Amino acid sequence: MAREITYIAAIMEGIHQEMARDDDVLLIGQSVGGSPEDPFVAAFGPDRVRVTPISETAEIGMAAGAALAGKRPVVDCTMAEFLLVAMDQVVNEANRFHYMSGGRVTAPLVLKAGYGFTAGWAGQHTGSIYGMFMGVPGLKVALPSTPADAKGLMATAIRDDNPVLFLHHYLLTLEAGDVPEGEHLVPFGQAAVVRPGHDVTLVATGWTVHRALEAAEELAAEGVSVEVIDPRTIAPLDVDTILASVERTGRLALVDQATKHASVSAIIAAEVAEAGFASLRAPIVQVTALDAPIAYAKPMEDFVLPDVGKIVAGVRRVVDATVSGHNTAAAR
Amino acid sequence: MDRTAMYRAMVRIREFEERVKRTFAEHPGVIRGHTHLADGAEASIVGSIAAIRPGDHVMATYRCHGYPIALGSDTTAMMAEIYGRANGLCGGYGGSMHLADPERGFLGTSGIVGQSIPQATGAAYAAQVRGAGDVVLCFFGDGASKQGAFHESLNIASLWKLPIVFVMENNSYSVSVRVEQEDANAAAGEPLATKAVAYSMPGVTIDGGDPDLVHTTVAEAVARARAGEGPTLVESLVYRLSAHGNSIAPPGVPLHYPEHEAVTVFGDVAEYEAALRGDPVPRFRGALVTSGALDAATADAIAAEAADEMQRAVDGALAGPDPDPADALRFVVA
Amino acid sequence: MTTAVSVDTQVLRDLLATMWRIRAFEERVGALKRADEVHGLIHLSIGGEGVAAAVCRQLRDDDAVYSGHRAHGHAVAKGAPLGRAMAELMGRGGGLCQGMGGSMHLVDVAHGFLGATGVVGGNIPLALGSALAARQQGSDAVAVVFFGDGAVQAGLFTESVNLATLWRLPVLLVCENNGFAEFTPRSAHTTVERVSDVVAPYPLPRQTVDGNEVADVWTAFSGLLARARRGEGPALLECLTHRLRGHYEGDPDRYREAVSAEDRQRKDPILRLQRAGHEAGWLTGSESFESDARAEVEEAVTWARSSPFPSSVPEELR
Repeated sequence: MAREITYIAAIMEGIHQEMARDDDVLLIGQSVGGSPEDPFVAAFGPDRVRVTPISETAEIGMAAGAALAGKRPVVDCTMAEFLLVAMDQVVNEANRFHYMSGGRVTAPLVLKAGYGFTAGWAGQHTGSIYGMFMGVPGLKVALPSTPADAKGLMATAIRDDNPVLFLHHYLLTLEAGDVPEGEHLVPFGQAAVVRPGHDVTLVATGWTVHRALEAAEELAAEGVSVEVIDPRTIAPLDVDTILASVERTGRLALVDQATKHASVSAIIAAEVAEAGFASLRAPIVQVTALDAPIAYAKPMEDFVLPDVGKIVAGVRRVVDATVSGHNTAAAR
Repeated sequence: MDRTAMYRAMVRIREFEERVKRTFAEHPGVIRGHTHLADGAEASIVGSIAAIRPGDHVMATYRCHGYPIALGSDTTAMMAEIYGRANGLCGGYGGSMHLADPERGFLGTSGIVGQSIPQATGAAYAAQVRGAGDVVLCFFGDGASKQGAFHESLNIASLWKLPIVFVMENNSYSVSVRVEQEDANAAAGEPLATKAVAYSMPGVTIDGGDPDLVHTTVAEAVARARAGEGPTLVESLVYRLSAHGNSIAPPGVPLHYPEHEAVTVFGDVAEYEAALRGDPVPRFRGALVTSGALDAATADAIAAEAADEMQRAVDGALAGPDPDPADALRFVVA
Repeated sequence: MTTAVSVDTQVLRDLLATMWRIRAFEERVGALKRADEVHGLIHLSIGGEGVAAAVCRQLRDDDAVYSGHRAHGHAVAKGAPLGRAMAELMGRGGGLCQGMGGSMHLVDVAHGFLGATGVVGGNIPLALGSALAARQQGSDAVAVVFFGDGAVQAGLFTESVNLATLWRLPVLLVCENNGFAEFTPRSAHTTVERVSDVVAPYPLPRQTVDGNEVADVWTAFSGLLARARRGEGPALLECLTHRLRGHYEGDPDRYREAVSAEDRQRKDPILRLQRAGHEAGWLTGSESFESDARAEVEEAVTWARSSPFPSSVPEELR
């Protein structure tokens, strides 16, 4: 049975259910288990749920070591930027262990962190920094956009035998949606077609999925049918679903809250250009953040971020585009 | 491990390292990349590992050949790993800096200074949750104690009373920088174990060239850890008898093992020669033989057996096949 | 209990005025946050004005100050103009950083406030760099870094303490120990109660003072500052303070016991110095520190409100 709960409640439910299912799952972090009334401490005891000092390198390194020793730690890293304090442990340790040992050890752990808090948090707490992790071998990256996916991807992340970065979007924290009760697993590497369409393929992640859906609605009124795809995990990345969609629509627009050169969209654009060029009837359009940090003041914050208007304009561009002097939209 | 077994382990580690070093001259090109030897630290390694039992875990740094030997890993598989062969301990994926043998409790290493300290601390957290009384030995060098990872980990280990012993092998050099050039305690003439004060944990400094003393000290710390009384910092003073690592050179330039930095960087031949005179392997042999604990013939036999074993390790490694290139895509994810 | 008598009364009057300026500023910021004229994450230092005033008022414009996420008081005490600081918090083009930084990223280069940083402990090595630069320029300028007790458990802390000590850098590490790292008490973070004991292994002077006793902070810091200016190296000053507000504005603050009215009276550094002033006679009751400060802050708000929002983006980003 599904019922409506918030995105953040769905994440915590996913962790809670996995902890109940498997005694080896641990939860540590700077903002968990600080008081005896904490529901996780109450349910699983202070051994399995522990508050940590502000020591990112130790928190993530300890998760790696506990994982080597047979546990499945979840580290609540709070904000994605805090991962950068411990960059070596995130990209150069646990994710290499299985490989470097020739398969002799595994390091199953989950790093949960929020990102994209573009609500006046200014320069150091607002980044959409997943792009710098998605190409790191051995590391998986999940970017849920709905409460149901948030729960299901978290459960899958905890059961995965690899380090997983579970990045939840701060602006979605209190968004509610239907979430199945009980066990709910969303497979990694399987994109969701969140709105079917036939004129143009629009790929988005996290918070921008919802902006893409709004844009699709607006464009539908103009007679443009937009297919919206949410990859849900960017490592592994389900390129096949995107290619299959582009094969039908012949057009691709991408939305990304990251700056273009550190975005998922740039990678998808390259994959489609390489493997799906023959399907394309127009140049790919990317609607990304502009190349700047995030400013504090709202007008500047808004200016650099993608929004519905920019997405609509981007899709129009790809629909109206001409290839080889041939106006393809008019030709249809 | 009794004293004879400790001596045997020390000799085997030394012989293994000697054969690694000789490989650079005898089989040029067989060892790639960067290799770090633990000659001079055998007493510290063996004395420490003699204090633990099956079920306990060990983590270490890229200078990692000695620990698995003391834990019982197959030396042919280890040599084959250093030679990058398919019959290597880790299938040729890891090489010298990344040995792992989980079945023997050796969870692995980090090639980045200080980064295995939190990992070992995490393994100790796992041991604490498991509740079977297991402990973790965490080995690292003096340079790592300037890494934030050291500070963060020792604080948490003390706070959570984790079953871990931090064994700092202080060899006085961070690559080619002397410890008093980069450590405020050393510069003030203080032992590095002083740092334990900041974590309300016992800190001791010992002669890491004396395997009996290392054993007693680490065993006491292990007992504390098993009893739930928390971690200990043991500063074990050693002298690495080889340079930090083999020469670093682009492909095409033959690799070799240079002289120790005391000589090449500081021109301090006297320091290095004094260290050679204090070599812990002959020193322990002398102690055992003069006290009558071991007769000279047995000691000679131990050396001969170690020489034979390591010859077989070299032969077995040289005969080992190269990995299938396409296997490079295995084990990327579990 | 107090060493107030050893500090010149002119200095004490100046400190009182500075603390009131900070208090009035911060209370106004809290109100503006509730009215949604200031947005984003706001950390107030109400109750901690004594440390900001006693440290920064001894510094020159060429001394560098770094702060963390709770930075308003340090910026104001170091001389940041209130109007431009307020405008920054309101996201206006006339702000100290043209609205780009906000509360956690205030910078005022002209007055040596080199900045607030939003990642705990991230500012400590930066201060070492400023200290190194000052020394290499042959200046006797120093660098001061403010941080909370939570930052002390981060690896950056001992990396910095080791290097500052080893190189005898003119840097002063000022820890405001309010007993809480974000939402959890110090006992959940470390076995070592006093931050000054965390640096016990390192050969540098360390002192712990009552941060609510502004004269004590002044006296202690003055000695350490003189040493640093003479080239005798770094020091750590731990000031025990009490956060009279939650971690951030809007924090439900359920993780600790409420601050009692009596406690507030007793610990508040401003009220404490005023009581001492009246007892000692250097305050007569006719002073107008508070009303002057509030009037100045109102002017600052008026000025900030008149400053336009950034039209879209600064030229270099267009």
